[in-house]
Order: sequence, then structure tokens, then C-alpha cells
Amino acid sequence: MTVLSDEVKDLIIETLELEDIEAADIDNEEPLFVDGLGLDSIDALELGIAIKKAFDVKIDNNSEDSKQHFYSVKTLCDFIESSRK
Amino acid sequence: MEFRVKNCVAWAGELTSDADWRGFANGEKMLADVTLAPALKQIPAMQRRRLSPFAKMALHCALEASGDVASSVPSVFSSRHGDLHKTSKLIADVADNAPLSPTQFGLSVHNAVGGQFSIYTKNKAPLTAISAGEDTFLMAIADAVCKLNSNDYGSILVVYTEEVVPLKYEKYIQQRQVSIGIALLLEKAQSSEPSIQLNVAANAVNEYENTTLQALDFLTFYHGSQDQQTISSKRHIWTLSKSQLRS
Repeated sequence: MTVLSDEVKDLIIETLELEDIEAADIDNEEPLFVDGLGLDSIDALELGIAIKKAFDVKIDNNSEDSKQHFYSVKTLCDFIESSRK
Repeated sequence: MEFRVKNCVAWAGELTSDADWRGFANGEKMLADVTLAPALKQIPAMQRRRLSPFAKMALHCALEASGDVASSVPSVFSSRHGDLHKTSKLIADVADNAPLSPTQFGLSVHNAVGGQFSIYTKNKAPLTAISAGEDTFLMAIADAVCKLNSNDYGSILVVYTEEVVPLKYEKYIQQRQVSIGIALLLEKAQSSEPSIQLNVAANAVNEYENTTLQALDFLTFYHGSQDQQTISSKRHIWTLSKSQLRS
């Protein structure tokens, strides 16, 4: 069984067409946006739709909570797991 | 109207250099059916990942033709069909009730490529994006020359891009289809430099569109030995002529 964090990383790379980056290059704790991976606000929208589709979770647009869920791969995984329960 | 072509950069099939296009104009080189997009390695990977083949052709030509003035030159971006592969995929998603990709949506508008040029070069000069049926390429030149003269610009960039359309739209196309990018850096005509005259008249009799893209007719004229060329479209008769230096 694949680890959830690897699934999320693969989804990020595929959805955002990060052709020069591999899953191993993405740190679980590192910020996804601006610093760290360097994603921008359009990526946030794109990733939101992809996560919704892939894991069937509900995401509130523009809420403070969503911002925290999308901080890093780890926070995203925590959010997906808590939504599944 | 009269103008000078400072730079002319075109990308289609395997023809990419001035020498290639001179070969095309004098019949030595043929235009291949398939066009591979330029690599554009100078654009950072995080920006480049969002460039479609359409955007890559446009940006390659725009950057090469504008050169030193890339970050300050005003521009006219033009295309008859725009990035139709992107647009038609979005339309299909709408029809399927599928969520639209925000990235694709944002980049499907007609001025998206101009916007990407402006972001990459940090160019804040006026930029327009136009479409004018089969006359798009020559109308873009006419638009640019008017802007050049009325605003007293030092130069202006004209970019035209077209791609072979998605299969379902093929039946509406009357031209031989070519994926092509071309950019011209235009300056005001000066008596000390060779220039080009462009004239247009209404065409009342033509029932059919020209079967060749105007951009290709222009490249044949620009790189070839003919001093004059007439291009007829359904609505217009365009005349291009080279004014030679008289000393």
C-alpha cells in the first residue's frame, strides 16, 4: 500500500506539471507555497480541485483552516485523514 | 501606411532561422507538416511548466524579435483561433459538468500569452490582443503601425501565432493548416532605411478565403526577391511593396 504522503506528492507533481521535480524532492514539513516548493495562488486553486477529486474531501475556499491544511504535505495528509473518518 | 521591419523571427515546421525562411521564399525549403515547440530553456521551469506549445511559439518569436527592448516595447499579440486546444478542452469539461482547471481557464483568454510575455520580461508597456478572421496577421500589422505613429513609439512588437486546430473544428478551416509563430519588431519608416508599404482596399467580389495563411505570404514576400505582393482575402485586397533606397 502506498503511503498517503507519497500519493499526495505524486498528485502535486502531476497536477501542477512540476516536470523537474520528483516526489523524493518534496519535504513533508516544508511549506508548499512561496518559500519551500514555491507554488503560487493559482496552484492553490488547482491543487484544491485535484485533492477534492482524488480524496473526496470538502474544502472551504478562502477559510483560514484551508490555508493551514495546505501549508505542507504533512498538514494536507492530516487534513485528508481527519476528513475520511 | 509605411513601416520598417527591424527584426522578423518566425517558427514553423522545421523552419526557424532567417536562412531557413529565405530558402522557403525561393522554393528551396518546404514547410514540414509538424511543428515542434521551441524549448525556451531561458524561462525558469516554474514559469515554463504553464506554457502550451502555442505559448512557447509565441514567446520564442516575441523574445527573439524584441531583443534589447523586450522589457519596454509596446506590443500587439494576434491569433485567429487563439490557444484553441486549451479552450476546446475547457468547453468539453463544461459540457461534462466537470470542474474547470483554474490554471487552464486563466491561460485560455486571448491575451494570456501577451500576459505571460509581460510577466517574464517585466514589460509594463501597452499590450493588446486581437483577432480578425483570416486577416488577423495583416490587421495586427495595421493596428501596430497606427499605434506606432499616433503614439510616437520608438518601436512596436507584432506577434502572430496559429496552431493546427483540434480535429472537430477542421471542417471550418479553409486554409492549409500550419502551426506557426511569427514576431516583427516594427519601426517608423525613415528615408535612410528600406521600408515596406502596406495598402488595403475593400474586396467586393471574392467569395472564398485565401488558402494560404497571410503570415506565410508575408514571409515569402519579406524574404523573397519580389518587390510587390498582393494578398486577397474574402473581404480585403492587401498590397505589400518594398520601397528601395534611392540614392
